[in-house]
Amino acid sequence: MEFAQDVINGILAGGILAVAALGFSLVWGIMNIINLAHGAFIMLGAYCAYELFTRFHIDPFISVPIAFVFLFALGYLIQRFVINYVVRAPVLTTFLLTFGLSLLIVNVALLIWTGDTRGVSPSYVGANFSIGPLTVSWAKLWTLIVALAITGIMALWLGRSRMGRAIRATAIDVGAAQLAGVRVAHVYAVTFGLGTGLAGAAGALLSLSYGINPTMGDPFLIKSFVVCVLGGLGSVQGALIGGLAYGIVEGIAPLIDFTVFGQHFSGSGLQNVIALVVLLVVLIVRPTGIMGRATA
Amino acid sequence: MNFRRIAVVAALALIAILIIPVAPAPAAQDTILFGSPVSLTGALTKEGHLTQEGYEFWKNYVNAHGGIKVGGKTYKVDIKYYDDESKNETAAQLAERLIDQDHVNFILGPYGSGTAFTVAQMVERKKIPMVEGNGAAEKIFSQGFRYTFGVLSPAKRYLEGIVELGREKGAKTVAISAASDAFSLEVAKGAADYATAHGMKVVYDDKYPNDATDVSGVITAIKATNPDIILNAGHLQDALLIHKALKEQNVMAKAYGYSVGPDTPDFVNALGKDANDVFGGAQWSDAVKYKADHPGFYDTAKAYAVAFEKVYHHRPDYHNAESSATCLAFEYALEKAGTLDPEKVRDALAALDVTTFYGILKFDSRGLNVYKPMVTNQIQNGTLVTVFPTGLAEKKPIYPAPPWGSR
Repeated sequence: MEFAQDVINGILAGGILAVAALGFSLVWGIMNIINLAHGAFIMLGAYCAYELFTRFHIDPFISVPIAFVFLFALGYLIQRFVINYVVRAPVLTTFLLTFGLSLLIVNVALLIWTGDTRGVSPSYVGANFSIGPLTVSWAKLWTLIVALAITGIMALWLGRSRMGRAIRATAIDVGAAQLAGVRVAHVYAVTFGLGTGLAGAAGALLSLSYGINPTMGDPFLIKSFVVCVLGGLGSVQGALIGGLAYGIVEGIAPLIDFTVFGQHFSGSGLQNVIALVVLLVVLIVRPTGIMGRATA
Repeated sequence: MNFRRIAVVAALALIAILIIPVAPAPAAQDTILFGSPVSLTGALTKEGHLTQEGYEFWKNYVNAHGGIKVGGKTYKVDIKYYDDESKNETAAQLAERLIDQDHVNFILGPYGSGTAFTVAQMVERKKIPMVEGNGAAEKIFSQGFRYTFGVLSPAKRYLEGIVELGREKGAKTVAISAASDAFSLEVAKGAADYATAHGMKVVYDDKYPNDATDVSGVITAIKATNPDIILNAGHLQDALLIHKALKEQNVMAKAYGYSVGPDTPDFVNALGKDANDVFGGAQWSDAVKYKADHPGFYDTAKAYAVAFEKVYHHRPDYHNAESSATCLAFEYALEKAGTLDPEKVRDALAALDVTTFYGILKFDSRGLNVYKPMVTNQIQNGTLVTVFPTGLAEKKPIYPAPPWGSR
């Protein structure tokens, strides 16, 4: 029964990871930029939800699209006026630039909001229902539903819309896309905006369960990286499946308990290790990730 | 105005600057310079600032009251800070810089066991005494360091009070989760050992990674053991995560206790009513009833708290108090040593035995203050009150905690 409960918790937690990783994955897969400021954008999304909740009593779920729009705009501008200058540079350059951006954003947040940890606690946080012996949190269930909706919309939009096709075309061949009349600078800015917008949405969703402070994004940057590689680069379905898989692995990790050479190991303390071992195994079996194609 | 005139004016100005006597800089001997690497950015920003407030509050008091008398001479005090960015290695580098380049006389400790440990290694090498009030892991004090002194009670004591309080009320079982850093693991082990030694059963005792973003697996496992007392040794973020997850999964215990969390206002602000009835272990609270046996600073916790709140507009928490106490250890040791010689001041620290607003300041052979007891606080109606030990209690503990939703 503990197993079933852990799996449910894992799936519920995986939704947010999927949204966070999707943003990271798009930017990496399409622009070949490993965005180290992704965690900082997640943090900004959480502060959006916090400010709207404390000032105007706006529910964090309603803040999700607001945070998305706000961070989309911020991301678009950052790409257009900062990153665009080095978008063709070797990966180390964009690495340094986004790392610097991350430091800048986190420290500005520290000036604005100080280091205090804050929380958003609408009355329904903690409310739950039971299915037999299993307990499910309402807030986390809705978080998962919203996360699924976001990934669904993204998949449709990227697949069907003109802009979505332009983005995918640019990912496949920049030169050909340009010849076909795609404005690459605009496409890149929209892609980066989507990445930061999704980070913002993930941050707003996170505000319900996680304490908000300027450095809260750090662990999510690493998790986004793992989920994105696990699921397959630049793929919406990949981010979703990777996110849920990562959530489940983390959720059931505490059940693993073993003794090697007289040394006791508890799965709970080794959550990260177990998740990374799973990642390694997947990469050995399927080097492009669960949903990745050979020529991503 | 032609060029020549400008040149003349400029030359006159230059001469004026050169001949007008500058007030002589105060001789270095008149000021005792302390140095502190402290977390002003990074993960420990909040606690770093509380530490700095505690130091500054002491410094301003001492300077406003004439300074410290050392060997018949009166000195002002000053403190030089560097931001260690909450990083252990950075803290050590900055300590080296404070000692070698800024020539500070002594080191006031950084915030946290991790940074205190690396700085302790540095001061050991440089033979400059450090007193610290914010790193309680015994790991720091089990290396045979001679120059590091900690004014706090050891980590293993943090949750003992809650276990004892529960035991007196009839609790039989305890579940403890811990973050994977040295401090948290020591806190958890201390509580588990105490419970076992006093006839209670530890039904869950496990750790989770330090940057855990989801602890529901831990909560499921704890729920299965149905404990009377649920304890956590971790960080503020963990305490928030765990407390929310306990409610989400409808886990009911008679008492909930956290090593870190309930003592900062953030805990109540973030959790609202759900924060009520939660216990926290603390190094100090303004309810403690010590009376200082030496002049030179506020003589009671109440006097300290009132004066502190006037300056910083918030109630001092134990981080503030232990940081001020860190400085006090130096103040009394310096007065006794009668010299700024690092070696003699170290010996005076080792022999220190005074009572202050914060409690007794006395170090065992390892440099740790094992003589001061901890207090246990509880959040009652959104306010932190001291409930244990009974002699210091402001209010009676609420036990068992009412079910979720009716707090």
